Amino acid sequence: MKRSALLLLASCLFFSCNNNKEEKPAPTDKTVKNDTITRPRPEKTTNNYVPVDLSPMDMSYYPADYPKLKMTKTPTVPPRARVIYSRPHLQGRQLFHDVLKYGEPWRLGANEATELDLYTDATIQGKKIPAGRYILYCIPGQETWTIILNSNIDSWGLQPDPASDIARYTVPVQQTSNAIEFFTMVFQMRTGGVDLLMAWENIEVRLPFSF
Amino acid sequence: MKKAIALVVLFQCCFIGLMAQGPLPPVDKSPMDMSYYPAGYPVLKIQDKVTDPLTARVVYSRPQKAGRTIYGGLVKYGEVWRLGANEATEIEFYKNVRIGGKKVSKGRYTLYAIANETSWTIIINKDTDTWGSFKYNIKKDVVRTDVPVQKTDSPIESLAMGFEKSTLGFNLIIGWDTIKVSVPFSF
Repeated sequence: MKRSALLLLASCLFFSCNNNKEEKPAPTDKTVKNDTITRPRPEKTTNNYVPVDLSPMDMSYYPADYPKLKMTKTPTVPPRARVIYSRPHLQGRQLFHDVLKYGEPWRLGANEATELDLYTDATIQGKKIPAGRYILYCIPGQETWTIILNSNIDSWGLQPDPASDIARYTVPVQQTSNAIEFFTMVFQMRTGGVDLLMAWENIEVRLPFSF
Repeated sequence: MKKAIALVVLFQCCFIGLMAQGPLPPVDKSPMDMSYYPAGYPVLKIQDKVTDPLTARVVYSRPQKAGRTIYGGLVKYGEVWRLGANEATEIEFYKNVRIGGKKVSKGRYTLYAIANETSWTIIINKDTDTWGSFKYNIKKDVVRTDVPVQKTDSPIESLAMGFEKSTLGFNLIIGWDTIKVSVPFSF
């Protein structure tokens, strides 16, 4: 009983404590934009191997939760795509302009560049994109965002390199129904395809895919 | 005590509820992370400091010890363990490597382990994009290799994985609680 209480308390602390200053040792390169925020790591002891990131990494598949589907039954379709991204959080800041600025490229995440894996060829906003690995970044605006597909994979942050841009998509900004603390990317079904939904604070944009 | 637990549970449910935001995924309790070999490759790449070619990376989730008994408790001796949490731990080789005397072709694989008191069996399996080790299928094993258990200098709260250079290639170091293993790869 005592142990379970401690466990709960520990996990609560992990979710809720957020005031102490502790900087992630960030690369010194000036192109690395500091959009991770300060939060104590869920470490009670030192981790000499790899410290835990302040902005946790996450993964979203299409079909949604593909690995879980695979666990419960044999999926009838193959995995089509996934994103691997890190999730900065607002923690009292305003998205514009504490974190992002209109017209300034943003890496759509934190730390390692946000990765899009296409397991099969896809059509993104009407443009055919071959299967493979890409990175995504964006240029946010007030009414629309430009989402950019780029080939500079296995990189960190955002190193603007238009020569390796593959496609640019303009997508409208929409309001979310409730506030979103952690930057979120997820594939959502729609009629005739799937959207890659990107949401943070009170706005969302959708990049339309079909397979 | 019961009341306190109830309060904590209530608070936690509210908090998780707030983060759930309908169909949008909440933040994982065991955050995902990624390690490359060469270590820190993405940073080296943008700083034009790459000297060795991109060779491998792991994508894994990082459970915390949180006061629990890990080995022989949470991680049962002699049973296949997913070496992480949530999505199965993924290891990707960007070129062919050798492990346990066997060649592994470049590509993505799932990594499992069987922990024992003095040694671990590391398993590289070709069933990717899966969850946990619930559907582990020995028929999809590519290679198994045994590595000795070593003690860490200090306890590690969150499961950690990283690569280091070795004389023949590189090692994948896996550490959690008071134990680490070093998995040797060569070319």
